[in-house]
Amino acid sequence: MSSTSNFLAEMTNSPVVVKLQHGLEYHGVLASIDGYMNVVLKDTVEMVENNKVRNYEEVFLRGNNVLYISQK
Amino acid sequence: MLFFSFFKTLVDQEITVELKNDVEIKGTLKSIDQYLNLKLDNISANTTKYPHLIAVRNLFIRGSNIRYIHINPSLVDTNLLQDASRREAMASAGDKIGGK
Amino acid sequence: MSESNSTSSEPLDLIRLCLDEQVFVKLRGSREMVGKLHAYDMHCNMVLSDATETIFYTEQDSPEIKSRTKKSDMVFIRGDSVILVSDAANV
Repeated sequence: MSSTSNFLAEMTNSPVVVKLQHGLEYHGVLASIDGYMNVVLKDTVEMVENNKVRNYEEVFLRGNNVLYISQK
Repeated sequence: MLFFSFFKTLVDQEITVELKNDVEIKGTLKSIDQYLNLKLDNISANTTKYPHLIAVRNLFIRGSNIRYIHINPSLVDTNLLQDASRREAMASAGDKIGGK
Repeated sequence: MSESNSTSSEPLDLIRLCLDEQVFVKLRGSREMVGKLHAYDMHCNMVLSDATETIFYTEQDSPEIKSRTKKSDMVFIRGDSVILVSDAANV
């Protein structure tokens, strides 16, 4: 397994921030991730320009929109 | 392949295709391929933006320009679709990080 | 890597669990769609029934965000427009 895959896999079950291309930001717990950077987050807050927009119990984010995933 | 098969069942039926440039085109689905490129016959378009479309009878649409395709619900067996989706998910459960 | 999360370990599994349920889909171009999910694939192509699309827009010289809705009895959504998918009950 490559080191980037390891890095991503080791982040599962920890709190992360996922930033998407159009400025959307998702703060939640990383439930799973695949090779396309598709992501499922739990207990997630959706933020736009530091304003809370919405909450999701569980949400799927399509990998192509992902700018970065960062561990909190 | 699921949606390719699905749209093959809709050949010769009327559908409405909404493109990413907001143009909506209604027509009879004549042909579909694996990229979901499609051929429409007897088209009518909602557009004032592209007046030349009024004179056009049939179109080839590149799949990547499609946003939505509206379908008559009576033509769709939803249980069949759901079973097919589950089967396809089983078949293509690859590319995971961390886990088998 | 532990095997503890081997059930529901792939992101797309979440979408599979939404089959036959109301889903909320956020799309490119300031659009959202709510409807019952009947099909999906690895590209996030989807078929929804009784779907309501909400389109957000602003008019010139006004910062106010407006919205309009459109209904569709049965709609195929091309996956490349999809940003996120969630169970509509949990939004």
